[in-house]
Amino acid sequence: MAARRLVALAGAAALLLTACAGSDNEGNETRPDARSSGAPAKGGTLSVALDSDPGALNPAITTSGGTHTASELVFSGLVELTPKLEQVPELAESWEVLENGALYRFNLRNGVTWHDGKPFTSADVKHTFDTMLLKLHSRTAASVGAALSSITTPDPDTVEFRFKQPYAPLLQQLDVTEAPILPKHLYEGTDVAKNPANNKPVGTGPFKLVSYTPGSELRFTANREYFKKDLPYLDEVVMRVIPDKGNQVVALEAGEVDWLFGTPGPDLPRLKSSGKYDFITTPLNPGGSNCIMTVSFNLDRPLFQDVRLRRALGTALDRDQFVDRVLFGQGRVAEAPISSGIPFAHASGLKGMPEFDRAEAERLLDEAGWKRQGGGTRTSAGVAGVPDGTPLAFGFTHFPTFSAYAQLLRAQLTSVGADVMLQPLEPPVFADTVFKARNFDTNIISYCNGVDPEIGVKRMYVTSNIGPVPFSNSSAYRNPEVDKLFEDARTTVDPKARTQIYRTLQEKLVQDLPYLWIVETEANRVFPNTCKGFTPSGHFAEAASCTT
Amino acid sequence: MTRRYVVRRLLQLGPTAAAILLVGFLLIHLAPGDPVLALAGENGDAEYYAFVREKFGLDEPLPTQLATYAGNVLRGDLGTSYVLGRPVSDVIAERLPATLLLTGTALVFSTVAGVAIGVFSATRRRRWPDVTVTLATLAMYSAPVFLLGQLAILLLALRAGWFPVQGMTDARSSATGLSHVLDVGHHLVLPALALAAQEVAAVSRLSRVGLLDELRRDHIRTARAKGVPERTVVLSHALRRALLPVVTVLGGRTGQLVAGAVVVEVVFGWPGIGRLLVTAMQARDAPVVLGVFLLVAVTVVVANLLTDLLYAWLDPRVRYR
Repeated sequence: MAARRLVALAGAAALLLTACAGSDNEGNETRPDARSSGAPAKGGTLSVALDSDPGALNPAITTSGGTHTASELVFSGLVELTPKLEQVPELAESWEVLENGALYRFNLRNGVTWHDGKPFTSADVKHTFDTMLLKLHSRTAASVGAALSSITTPDPDTVEFRFKQPYAPLLQQLDVTEAPILPKHLYEGTDVAKNPANNKPVGTGPFKLVSYTPGSELRFTANREYFKKDLPYLDEVVMRVIPDKGNQVVALEAGEVDWLFGTPGPDLPRLKSSGKYDFITTPLNPGGSNCIMTVSFNLDRPLFQDVRLRRALGTALDRDQFVDRVLFGQGRVAEAPISSGIPFAHASGLKGMPEFDRAEAERLLDEAGWKRQGGGTRTSAGVAGVPDGTPLAFGFTHFPTFSAYAQLLRAQLTSVGADVMLQPLEPPVFADTVFKARNFDTNIISYCNGVDPEIGVKRMYVTSNIGPVPFSNSSAYRNPEVDKLFEDARTTVDPKARTQIYRTLQEKLVQDLPYLWIVETEANRVFPNTCKGFTPSGHFAEAASCTT
Repeated sequence: MTRRYVVRRLLQLGPTAAAILLVGFLLIHLAPGDPVLALAGENGDAEYYAFVREKFGLDEPLPTQLATYAGNVLRGDLGTSYVLGRPVSDVIAERLPATLLLTGTALVFSTVAGVAIGVFSATRRRRWPDVTVTLATLAMYSAPVFLLGQLAILLLALRAGWFPVQGMTDARSSATGLSHVLDVGHHLVLPALALAAQEVAAVSRLSRVGLLDELRRDHIRTARAKGVPERTVVLSHALRRALLPVVTVLGGRTGQLVAGAVVVEVVFGWPGIGRLLVTAMQARDAPVVLGVFLLVAVTVVVANLLTDLLYAWLDPRVRYR
């Protein structure tokens, strides 16, 4: 039996580091002295702004960002992911990857209790997976669920996941966002969707829910029995529902809230120059991490079947302008199909990613048979499947909230002779039009890659995922070689080999250009500089402290 | 007579509610857009989405869904929210007090303040206080609610610091009893003012015109000739009948206040029905949307009935059959 033992020591050290330092605030723009000076203050209340009412507080049966943001302080996963996506122990103290990745054995932490005092055991893990995560958590159900053979619990401190084939991404999918663990004793034998515990959650996390007033606020108190020593520092966290982002900033400036999960771009310079706040810049969000704004081509339509046209359009886009004018600097130009937020899978320096060059774009369009008639819209001359004289005109479908992207894209493509008609559609209508009716030419989607390509990347490219499923393979890209590479990546446990597979895969994608990857988006968490110790998501406030 | 009239009007509630629900149901379900997206998130596979559709009965033909819904409503069950997973009646009931407090305060304030301004204006007709008030009320009437709300936040909350910018209570306080009431009252001032502003303007214009009209009548001239003090002439003799046009629009104003509350609740983070409606519509959460439609329709119908009854009380010549 080929076994690679992942010794808990390294993980425990990392955990200690995370817990004691509060956070490494990866990629943040905080002033170092705001976090590093002195021991953390104990006590106090942190007031947090939420965009939307969570509705329910069971993160195992939904991927809704609202529910996860509000409830992840209450629960824990088997494994915690650092902002760099390294795995450190949480409810699992250590783990072994056996049988070349077809069997994972987790040794659970001893002495952990639920907020109601009952002991946490392996039965809770199995019950949560069997009745909630593998049925109702869309990401975990679609990825782990499809690959899993069984979950067994040899004893109360051990849980084993057996897969039909080796399954590489599991450890990335066991954090509180992808696989929160819920108490069996409250859910067993009940209708999960209607269980009252969904609104009065009992977890093992750093904070316990005190009250939930729908539409208004959630109050949490510190879990003094938390298994991470000395944490949390705060006495209380209060989350206020403030739907308007502009008003969240106003509430921050008025001192009514201390933490925003995102900052509107136009407000960012003012808040930064005030000297009163610190920031954490992050691609991680409970609803979707590592998102890339991506343009899809409807490859079923003859117009877009020539890669030269797709490449020309990509070359005509000045993506730096998207970062500056649309994101106000909160993001970066995408340099590969897989987000740089997944370092092990992201391929940098890929040859063939379209770079802005208007003259080259014009040349490619000419070469593809799209000729200029004076200064206006180009028309076809000898383009396969397209009658001669057809203007280079196509629709661009987008959420109304993405209209700034749409307008900039139209302006840039008009300058090379393409006529782009904007078609804003509300999200549910967009999903119907694009994925069910497939009635579109091009569109823009925020494809969130998640913390592993198996979660949010594969769905965009594999042939089996073309169809009525929302946010699947929008371009209808078909390449058996790419399908095979995704399958190989899923079953290859060796990290180096997996990284190489993803590199090869991205080289193929850049060659075929079924999509244009425009920008990677980021959010700025903001908080007064009298507070410190935050992480960007998950248990974001477990090591936070504030001085008055 | 009046009792028969009231009973007849109340009986009309049934068909009205049924029509509202039918039109609402068809509008929501025939509009493009699939609620499964809000229910299931983005990253599921085909099997998962099919499972969710079946679970909520969304795979049934539309007439079947309508029949099931109608049957449930007749039994007093407004259904279960797709997104929140709880009974619609519970979801609405927990948000209702906040909206009642907000719209009720705005309704009372706009009526009292509007009439007071109308009286002030009418008794100083075409003099500079009347002209100033007229200009100010016209400006108030023209300003959209969201603009007034944002201005109130910027000037009175953020700059002057007199009021909180959002919510119904102070996040850091766990006050109870009287201090809780005062805390809520403090948070209520700006949203209620923003919501009432347009109504204050409308009522003041109506009561000014009504009062000017009334003050020209013979019985007022007689009262003045008899030496009745001007204050009594205006407030006792003229105002009661001058209020008739104000009362006439009361029912319609209730509907407008509920519509305005949708905006004000979003701007001020007020946890009421308006915000619930906005989020439910965005998520195509049909049971919640229909529940709110029903509530608003019944409220407007009842408000119109009360208006009619109030009308008869103010003007004894009015009789209902």
